[in-house]
Amino acid sequence: MPLWIQILPGSGEPIYVQVAEQISKAIARGELSSGDKLPAVRKLAAELVINPNTAARAYSRLEQAGLVTTKTGSGTFVSDPKLRRTDAADINMLTERMDTLITRGLNLGLEAQDLISLFESRLAKFGNKSKKQEEEK
Amino acid sequence: MRFSALLRKELRECLPWLLLAAIVLLVFGGFFLRAETYYESDRHYSRLSAGTVVDHYQLTFYPTLNLTGPWLFCLSIGLGLVLGIRQFWIPHFTRTWPFLLHRSVSRKTILTAKLTAALVACVISLGPVWIGLYWYANRPEVFAIPQTPRVFIEGWIFIMLGLVAYLGTALSGLSTANWYTTKIFGLVLATIIIVTTLSQCTLAGIFAVIAVSIAILLVQIFDTFLRREY
Amino acid sequence: MNEIVLETKALTKYYGSTLAVDHIDLKIPRGCICGFVGRNGAGKTTAIKLMLGLLRPTAGLSRLLGCDSSALTPAIRQRIGYVTEGHRLFRWMSIGGLEKFQRAFFAKQWDDKFFADMIEYFELSKKQKIKHLSNGQRAQVSLAFALAPNPELLIMDDPTLGLDAAIRRQFLEGMIELIMRQGRTVLFSSHILGDVERVSDRIVVIDKGVLRANCSLEQFQKAIKKAILSFADSAPDEVNIDGFLHCKRSEKGLELTLVGTDDEEIAEWAKSAGAENYRIVKMNLEDQFIEFTAPANHRRLFQWEER
Repeated sequence: MPLWIQILPGSGEPIYVQVAEQISKAIARGELSSGDKLPAVRKLAAELVINPNTAARAYSRLEQAGLVTTKTGSGTFVSDPKLRRTDAADINMLTERMDTLITRGLNLGLEAQDLISLFESRLAKFGNKSKKQEEEK
Repeated sequence: MRFSALLRKELRECLPWLLLAAIVLLVFGGFFLRAETYYESDRHYSRLSAGTVVDHYQLTFYPTLNLTGPWLFCLSIGLGLVLGIRQFWIPHFTRTWPFLLHRSVSRKTILTAKLTAALVACVISLGPVWIGLYWYANRPEVFAIPQTPRVFIEGWIFIMLGLVAYLGTALSGLSTANWYTTKIFGLVLATIIIVTTLSQCTLAGIFAVIAVSIAILLVQIFDTFLRREY
Repeated sequence: MNEIVLETKALTKYYGSTLAVDHIDLKIPRGCICGFVGRNGAGKTTAIKLMLGLLRPTAGLSRLLGCDSSALTPAIRQRIGYVTEGHRLFRWMSIGGLEKFQRAFFAKQWDDKFFADMIEYFELSKKQKIKHLSNGQRAQVSLAFALAPNPELLIMDDPTLGLDAAIRRQFLEGMIELIMRQGRTVLFSSHILGDVERVSDRIVVIDKGVLRANCSLEQFQKAIKKAILSFADSAPDEVNIDGFLHCKRSEKGLELTLVGTDDEEIAEWAKSAGAENYRIVKMNLEDQFIEFTAPANHRRLFQWEER
């Protein structure tokens, strides 16, 4: 699937973060698989109409999170999931976001079981894609 | 290459006025010329016989071209005013000064191009027509008495006064004075010069006044243009 | 390391007794896109004209590409592109005629193909006269004329004022295209903060002729934040925290706008002020700009009567 990123300048989130997050989501959804080449920084900047430095920073951010690797001269590639690091900060961030979701859900009146079923159904959507890719290999 | 681009642009902007002035002079100048041929003989012979002494130099195109001459004068002044306005007043209204002044040339070059274009415009629009009218007036079948060189020179004096009017208008246009009374200083100066010229006693006097005043006006214009803010 | 392409020192301009530009110090390095923002009448156009030598400073100096602004040589001017306020061009000329005129000043620098491609992209014809173009089309032509000579430094004075979103986007694309070439720098003034946020590396904020900010966009966006605090009883009367800009009070709460205050400092103050709860809110660039340039006694203009 082609990579599609939308920039929202007025959102309060720095643009490089928006780009990194959306690429990150694409990787999580399986739209980008390990070994796929991301567009060159200049191409990405020209297409999204953002500063090339911003595009480079987005890639840096992804690289720091271990989601991509840059090979000088060749480009930036989605990294092997097995080689991706997860450190304490990432887990913390994940926990924070989960807390937000749980709070929201409980405030809406959902029961714990409802939340779990919702979570499982959403996970299945992602899971299917990565399972398919595993089977194809 | 840069100067010629500027000059071409300025000339192109002057072109309609240049042509208009030439055509009007040709048509109306010619008309007045024909009209005068009917009255020529009476006037001339009666004056000569009276033996009056002309005690000062009168720019009246005596003995002929009494109407054509003043017509050339009006057109010349008019053309000068229009060119001054076109080159130095209009850019303020169209707000094109910043664009022009950022071109990769010195300000002196920009100004020289404008002045050259105006000079060329005045000379080639009115000059040839005047030469043509004079030549025609000099033909034996038009007037019995041949024209004097003095008449020819007077035509060119009027063209030069047109340039004075142009320079005065340019100076006014460049003036940064806010209040209108001080802004028209250039025009007032030009008027004074023209009146002074017309009241001179000798041809030498006329040329001296014109030469000195054009020099003064040019110095003022260069100084103002180079220093001015846009 | 990075060469300074645009520099001003205590640049000041008085119009009679009105202070238009007040001691502005700037150093813009090569290779960046610098967004010049300020409210209407803040002095952006005056500052730009001073930098380009169209106005003479009352005090201070300005240098472009190492050359004093009041004495910019033709060679230096050739390296600087300038998009004027309002895109004013010679109305009687055709696009092709103006191209010929422009080319004379740029000799080998002018990129014929690039210009022709841009004109085609904008769906214009070289035969069209400037006076018959709409504002948007004239802006497009102006952009083409500014980019075709491949300038080292491009200065644009409010280039997208009054233009539709599509044309604004084209200007941004043009800026990005230029910045990707080696060693180019762009300075543009704008009211559209979304555009500034999108493409700028640096931001310069001018308010009432005074320089209020001159830093990277990231620093600016990180520096201005809002802290919302809630109190059990009532909020303290005095707010004495570093970087305090202004505050809005409600019954049991306080909304503080702060500049350059660390998150830890906010946490400390919240504790010492006895806040029940607090959170730090992200702001978008437009809100940050508005809060940053709001007058000292920040009040709403309108107040509805309670019935």
